[in-house]
Amino acid sequence: MVRYLITRLGQALVVVVLVTVIAFLILHLLPGGAARATLGKEATLEQLAAFNHDMGYDRPWIQQYGMYVQRLLRGDLGYSYQLNQSVVEAISQRLPKTMVLSLLSTVLAIVLAIPLGVIQAVRRNRWPDYAITSLSLLAYATPIFFMGLMMIILFSQVWPILPPEAPQGFTVAEVLADPAGLVLPTITLAIVTIAVYSRYVRSAMVDNLNENYVRTARSKGLSERRVVLRHTLRNGLFPVIALLGMYLPALFSGALVVESLFNFPGMGQLFWQAALKRDFPILLGVTVIISIATVVGALVADLLYAAVDPRVRLQRSAS
Amino acid sequence: MIETSGRHTPAAGGTQPLLELRDLDTDIALRRGTVHALDGVSLQVMPGETLGVVGESGSGKTMTALSIMGLLPPGGRVSGGQILFEGRDLRSLPADEVRRIRGVRMGMVFQDPLTSLNPTMRIGVQVGEPLRVHERVGRAEARERTIEILRRVGMPRPDRIVDNYPHELSGGMRQRVAIAMALVCSPRLLIADEPTTALDVTTQRQILELIDDLREEFGMAVILVTHDLGVIAGRADRVAVMYAGRVVETAATGELFRSPRHRYTQALMEALPESAIRESGEHARLYSIPGLPPDLSRPLTGCRFAPRCRHVTDECRTTDVTLTAGEHQHACLHPVPAEPAAPVGLPTPARVEPAPDPAGAPAGPAEPAAEPVLSVRNLVKNYAAHGRGLLRRTAGQVSAVADVSFDVGPGETFGLVGESGCGKSTVGRLAVGLEQPSAGQIMLDGTDIAGLAGRERRRMHRQVQLMFQDSYAAMNPRMRVDAILAEPLEIQKVGGTAERRARIATLLDQVGLSRRVLERYPHEFSGGQLQRIGLARSLALQPRLIVGDEPVSALDVSIQAQVLNLMRDLQRELGLAYVFISHDLSVVDYMADRIGVMYLGKLVEVGPARDVVRAARHPYTQALIDAVPSVTPNPAAARDGATIRGELPSALNPPAGCRFRTRCPLAQDICATEPPLAGDAHQVACHFPLRPESAAAAAPAGAIA
Repeated sequence: MVRYLITRLGQALVVVVLVTVIAFLILHLLPGGAARATLGKEATLEQLAAFNHDMGYDRPWIQQYGMYVQRLLRGDLGYSYQLNQSVVEAISQRLPKTMVLSLLSTVLAIVLAIPLGVIQAVRRNRWPDYAITSLSLLAYATPIFFMGLMMIILFSQVWPILPPEAPQGFTVAEVLADPAGLVLPTITLAIVTIAVYSRYVRSAMVDNLNENYVRTARSKGLSERRVVLRHTLRNGLFPVIALLGMYLPALFSGALVVESLFNFPGMGQLFWQAALKRDFPILLGVTVIISIATVVGALVADLLYAAVDPRVRLQRSAS
Repeated sequence: MIETSGRHTPAAGGTQPLLELRDLDTDIALRRGTVHALDGVSLQVMPGETLGVVGESGSGKTMTALSIMGLLPPGGRVSGGQILFEGRDLRSLPADEVRRIRGVRMGMVFQDPLTSLNPTMRIGVQVGEPLRVHERVGRAEARERTIEILRRVGMPRPDRIVDNYPHELSGGMRQRVAIAMALVCSPRLLIADEPTTALDVTTQRQILELIDDLREEFGMAVILVTHDLGVIAGRADRVAVMYAGRVVETAATGELFRSPRHRYTQALMEALPESAIRESGEHARLYSIPGLPPDLSRPLTGCRFAPRCRHVTDECRTTDVTLTAGEHQHACLHPVPAEPAAPVGLPTPARVEPAPDPAGAPAGPAEPAAEPVLSVRNLVKNYAAHGRGLLRRTAGQVSAVADVSFDVGPGETFGLVGESGCGKSTVGRLAVGLEQPSAGQIMLDGTDIAGLAGRERRRMHRQVQLMFQDSYAAMNPRMRVDAILAEPLEIQKVGGTAERRARIATLLDQVGLSRRVLERYPHEFSGGQLQRIGLARSLALQPRLIVGDEPVSALDVSIQAQVLNLMRDLQRELGLAYVFISHDLSVVDYMADRIGVMYLGKLVEVGPARDVVRAARHPYTQALIDAVPSVTPNPAAARDGATIRGELPSALNPPAGCRFRTRCPLAQDICATEPPLAGDAHQVACHFPLRPESAAAAAPAGAIA
């Protein structure tokens, strides 16, 4: 197990290094270079040269990459002149809040999607299945900004029970102190996730319910409830585990559209505004962080898989 | 119901049947219509007896079992009749009550042990579950009783197995687990649906004996559902033969095999390869039942076998034939005349054309002078083994083929038999060049194929072609048959469009298919037709050798006979040589001129087919022969032979010396050194061969038990 972990961590490291190389290259392939991007169109050639010299951008690329990696290892992702704060600082202000929103919506999605998928599988090709399938497809096909707008119109205009804006607090505690404001963004985010997850659960459950081992379970005279809950559910949840691993990067990146729509000061909004203002240090910093989260997410999914599926688990020494 | 010839005669007279089916109808609603899977099925099972239900695929034998258990697939329902179990009609009982009966009073064992157990649940939990649910037994007691029942089904170290997962056990062991699960509540009725079809013959024998022993021990009745007449003959007290959703004949086992009355039963027995060999000593042509079983989604009138029957009259097509009354029931208007005092053996195969087969014998091994088409010398194939689980490091080598040598002459059929994992398929794949040997030579017409490259290599591929077990899987489902047959010609750049078309037409004629099939796709064909198309494809380039890897193993007996006959006809017409790979000894015996027996990558015995099967020299060959269930009902003999126990060792680090020694009843210290393949025409790799070679021809008395 330890050996496997080391191997997988080694692989993850290679991917992360490649990501930094790509990020570095993008930074330096910008037209006019980072200096122009940072100082803007009005900057004089002297200013550009001075900036480049200060930042070490006039040195050879290899050396520059070495410096970039050194800074990265020290936890220095660069400095945003637009926000006038370091990238790390900008991210660390927003990441916890984004995680609150993402976690809430993910938990909500899982709690609802699994039973919905199971009901669809058990009642497949009958009206509950058709109804949920139709709603899922509708939710899946609706653009998320439209969904969010509908939410705002319905629940804060037509029937004003919830605020249209997410909590504006500066810290996680302040955000959590305003739960009403979290409801609409959480639900909006969750709806699409529910649609996707319930489809996965449904198809995995349908496949499993057609397996021979389910027939064996029925031959033991078990109730349908026990057949589904004790025998099939565990095997039907494997795809969800894989999805959860892939969800980790989303936890970090936040939801661009929803955060903008509800004016939630999270990672998505940070990224969105950085893109508009061509704030490259922020864009690259966020990209590197998300890449690492992606790699770690895949690793976590594999480990979770091994935890729930004995066939993947390490052979015990005896047999 | 008075039992006369069963081994365990239930008390005659007043005994109530344990299970009685009365006019059972089962429908399965599919998108394309309703299939009437069972039509008026009536059966009785007495307490303590074994009823064999035999039939080909689609006959309704499995649907009968599933109807009793209430486990019909989605869309299936019992639409008429009664299922009387211990006197009560299961159809009229409340669902909870039926479920309890199913869990406690009945048990079922399914065909495929690899998929019939929950992969993520520990063995102990699965086996003990009925106790927990139906008897409300505590966790500790359930575990204890689970260990006990696992011990009774012959599971080694049951106290440890309970904590294992199914994937950690072999197929045979998993089937024991399935049996333990069915028996844990001591049911009155065990339904075994093809319980050994997915297993090797030596394992099959162990499992069938286990079921027999447990039946006596538990005093339960058994319904043994199978397609294999041999399995039925050795184990059942009474047999019901099913065809197209109906019971067409039922009788005591001995009576049925001695004197079948229904024309379908008779035809089925004649289609068995072993019947053709036994009668004449020569390889007579098999009787093959023409056509296919009827489509059960259409309304049917008259005898359902009529369209395929040799004795059909107009009356058969219009009259609804019902089972006759009495001990030996049949539903046939023109039954085989009863033979009350016929000698034990197979029915007189009056229909078997005794026409001697001119291809097999003369072109066979009688002339070893002819240069072999295929010559395999010291063939070795090793695979790097990866540890299972997360740790995929290399864990040694799997020795799939170890030092195998044999020749195949022009027009000869060389049979390769052995159990799964013995390396026979790997030899086939190496012979056609699909894989590269680790060592050794494969020579086609005297040329070592390893030295060939480019165009020569491609030309070599014309000479030798492969025929698969599952032709459907071996065809591109999006290609029409014309494209499938033209492809080899295109790859080898043979002829122009017109020539290819003519060639394809010839191929279809040769395999007996009409030109209309050209525009159809693989999924539109039945198994037998697909094997014909597969054969046509392998014939397209006019090869000299066809390697058939289990070419008839997926087919029903009647269809199997059609394909085997076709293969022999083509061999005679075209002078083909075959390497015929199969686990089924009786099929290989019928087809092959010479047989090679493989065990764990080694060729342990090679010789003329007749000698190998009737005067085996290697203990493994003998054990294999003994394990094959024969249609001659002779249960005593079937149980006596020295059987091999245990399981096939891993090909990863196989035993040194003779690889069979770990299971061999004759093994001595010397067996740790490797025995060479010694002998003249009938070679054996054994330090203690069962017979000297010369005895083979002189003493055919040592035939199959």
